[in-house]
Amino acid sequence: MEMILNFPCLCILLTMFSAIISSALNRRWARYLNTFVVTLVGILSAAVLMFTLTSGKSYVYQMGHFPAPFGNEIRFGSLEAGMALFFSVIMLLSLNGGREKIRMEIDPGKEKLYYIMINLLLSSLLALVYTNDIFTAYVFVEINTISACGMIVITEHGRTIEAATRYMIMSLLGSGLFLIGICILYDMTGHLLMEYLYTSISNIMAAGTYRIPMMVAIALIVVGLAIKSALFPFHAWLPDAYGYSTVSSAAMLSSLVSKGYIFLLIKLIYRVIGFEVFFGSRIINVLFVFGLAGMIMGSVSAIRENDIRRMISYSSVAQIGYIYMGFGLGTGAGMVASAFHILSHGATKSLLFVAAVGLTDASGGHKEFDELTGAAYRNRLAGAAFLVGALSMVGIPLFSGFISKLLFAQAAVQSQGKALAALVVLAMSTVLNAIYFMKTVIRIYTPTDKKYEVTAFGYKVSYAITLGCFILLNLLLGLFSQPITNWITQGLTILQ
Amino acid sequence: MNHILLFPIVFPILAGIMLLTVMKYQNRKPLLAYVGTVLGVNALWGLFAMFRVSEGVTVFYLTKSLPIYLKVDTVGRLFASLMVLVWLLGGLFSFEYMKHEKNEQRFYGFYLILCGVLFGLDFSGNLITLYLFYEFMTLTALPLVLHTQTKEAVMAGLKYLFYSFAGAYMALFGVFFIGRYAKTLEFTPGGVIDPSVFRENETLFFVVAMLMILGFSVKAGMFPMHAWLTAAHPAAPGPASAVLSGIIVKGGILALIRVVYEIIGVDFLRGSWVQQWWMILSLLTVFLGSLLAFREPVLKKRLAYSTVSQLSYILFGLSLFEVQAMTGSLLHIIAHVFIKVALFFTAAAIIYMTGCKRVEELRGVAKGMPVTMWCYTIVSLGLIGIPPTSGFISKWYLAEGALHTGIPVFSWLGPVILLLSALLTAGYLLPLSMRGFFPGEGYDAGRFAGKEPPLSMRVPLLIFAGLTLGIGLFPNVFTNILSAAADFLM
Repeated sequence: MEMILNFPCLCILLTMFSAIISSALNRRWARYLNTFVVTLVGILSAAVLMFTLTSGKSYVYQMGHFPAPFGNEIRFGSLEAGMALFFSVIMLLSLNGGREKIRMEIDPGKEKLYYIMINLLLSSLLALVYTNDIFTAYVFVEINTISACGMIVITEHGRTIEAATRYMIMSLLGSGLFLIGICILYDMTGHLLMEYLYTSISNIMAAGTYRIPMMVAIALIVVGLAIKSALFPFHAWLPDAYGYSTVSSAAMLSSLVSKGYIFLLIKLIYRVIGFEVFFGSRIINVLFVFGLAGMIMGSVSAIRENDIRRMISYSSVAQIGYIYMGFGLGTGAGMVASAFHILSHGATKSLLFVAAVGLTDASGGHKEFDELTGAAYRNRLAGAAFLVGALSMVGIPLFSGFISKLLFAQAAVQSQGKALAALVVLAMSTVLNAIYFMKTVIRIYTPTDKKYEVTAFGYKVSYAITLGCFILLNLLLGLFSQPITNWITQGLTILQ
Repeated sequence: MNHILLFPIVFPILAGIMLLTVMKYQNRKPLLAYVGTVLGVNALWGLFAMFRVSEGVTVFYLTKSLPIYLKVDTVGRLFASLMVLVWLLGGLFSFEYMKHEKNEQRFYGFYLILCGVLFGLDFSGNLITLYLFYEFMTLTALPLVLHTQTKEAVMAGLKYLFYSFAGAYMALFGVFFIGRYAKTLEFTPGGVIDPSVFRENETLFFVVAMLMILGFSVKAGMFPMHAWLTAAHPAAPGPASAVLSGIIVKGGILALIRVVYEIIGVDFLRGSWVQQWWMILSLLTVFLGSLLAFREPVLKKRLAYSTVSQLSYILFGLSLFEVQAMTGSLLHIIAHVFIKVALFFTAAAIIYMTGCKRVEELRGVAKGMPVTMWCYTIVSLGLIGIPPTSGFISKWYLAEGALHTGIPVFSWLGPVILLLSALLTAGYLLPLSMRGFFPGEGYDAGRFAGKEPPLSMRVPLLIFAGLTLGIGLFPNVFTNILSAAADFLM
């Protein structure tokens, strides 16, 4: 069993080295290596998950020669391992579903670079999930940003270059704030490892000295990560970045990149700032209000949108709002709901992006709703998958989105003072979701006589298998949510 | 053994999905044979299962505290039997009618799925199961509204969807709160909330109850959320409007019975502002619905407004929290199913045979379609409430119940409004009969000659007209069972 303790570190190194090796390979072998590594990371993470679930404990793994409090550490429990597994599964499915589009949209000479970026992205996500050192987290946040920018810009359209620039500016602003926050924390505590930070911060808060600088530092860290994960009103970069990049990039950006930052924030809340300190501060009220505003404004923007990809992107703004609303409730149940929503939204949003590309390709590449009329008949599987994704987003029972809403509502009912606002906005946002998603579903299922050139894409076996897996994943989250919420609850408990 | 309850839910859904995806029928005959067989087998099995099994069945756990649980009781049996009858006869009727519509296979696919979903709704044993099937009912009924895919139908469908979702989420809002305070969400007559807990959070529970009543009554077309009904029902093809107006809207009423009588408990609500507002809104709807129907020239729309009005008779009966009124409501559910389905069948038959949609075009129609118009007249009398028809009995019970409660103002205002609305009902239904049978001078006698619809359309009509008369003549069989059921719920 000692062997398994090496797996998280091995995963990070594996992905980083595969990025380096890929630069020496041709595009075909880079693709094979990437698929192999992502699959391997998934298998290794599954093993770690099984191991941590059975033991019910968390483990600290020392990196390098120096012991704590000076050295660097990896720490993992069941929640971290499960997230790593989830991220690699979604990454594999997103890549597989958009494989044909990658081949079509990316210059053959640059395809290799794309896989390098993907490997780097996975390594940074894994590092964010596993690290026990806040500065290492910062380093990998930057790596994550750079690889995400690369993924957006790789198609070399004017729109994607603009989108990547916007993304870069907002993202750097976020990581800048995050870095300043870390600096202030280091200044006050003298630590970078999470356990030691936690002890120092709770001492400082108990003593009552430096309360305001401490709050400023925490606020900077939280806001930095919120900007990076596109919390309303910092979402201006998002629709372009998700709407015009290649479909695998869009799916991964919405399901993995932003979720990685959110997961880091969950870790920081539990392991650095401390549950009580964080929920005792007024920061959560800000997150709550921005979360609620995002839930409404994201959906309103999505309703006004005439481009299916951008519509799905705006829906992400609303869904990120749900997650921050869960943080803002200030209860353990809210955190569980938010963590579940990371999974549920990740699984649904990547499904929607991949399904939408099947629909647009069946409509001569047009993304406007007029042209999408009847698309579900031209690509039946993509239509069915989009229907599943839409029903899940609207929150119909049996699909994953319903369980998220249920958990959010149950958490809201238990919280003091915020129950009414949360529930009202939850209901409003759900009805708004229903408006644009059901409108799209009706549109794609309305028959038309217009003929479109049938592209081979969308009938590929691998695309069909990907969509099938996505649908299964959604139903799995919707039907068997109890073990998953148990796992999250247990994982959050041992996170501390 | 108890799992046979699942069969009537799962079988038609699978059969419907097969029809939508895998099967390709070139000819009508095998398609209709398939649909007929599925409906027949499912009806027999469903009836067998629901009278045989009385214990509950837990199908699986959505989350640890939320089982998907099926249980049959008298109310469930009543709704399911009505549904089975209408689905069989509606199927028979549509076999002829759907000749002049396109995309039959899709229509029947959703028709079958909806049958399974409705069995699920009627068999639900707890709130979350009810909610699940309620949402699926909304979604699977949508393709029936959209079927013709004209711009009008699509707009009506969207309107239907948004109203329904808005209502469903108002109700879900309540489910969350009740889930927090109740020990169980399983339907229990008298409610599942501890009296002391209720007293502590009285205002909260009243708001929750009102929201759930408003939310679920969207499906039953109660003012102020009734606008979707009069858009959606006329837009659907004939048989679909009949089942929408006859059965689907009753889903909202079933949900209301479950929530008010078996989750919240009437003893808590008696005399509260929730009850008052419910009575006010339902009486307002009774009156407004009739008034709007009176002014409406298009026959199917007129019938849809009439549905709005008549459903609120039922809601008013439910809002009184009294055994006799409740019996009246349950009776009126039966009466309204038979009558409204028959009325919509008449409208469909007229459109199918002549293409006429407006009432004033139909002078002398009874000369050509005597059987149809006789059936129409009989069920119209039933809806107005003239003895010896079922409508008379149910309205009698409703009025008696209202007078019996002794609630100030409403105990007499209710019967007065019911009477006024009955007058209006006569005003909007009977002119068609009168002008149909007695066209007066100067009408084109040849226009409707020989337009009597074929046998498969006449038989369902005759059966429903017969049932309307039958219940009116022999009401005791029903009133005994129903008042026992009402008594049990109190």
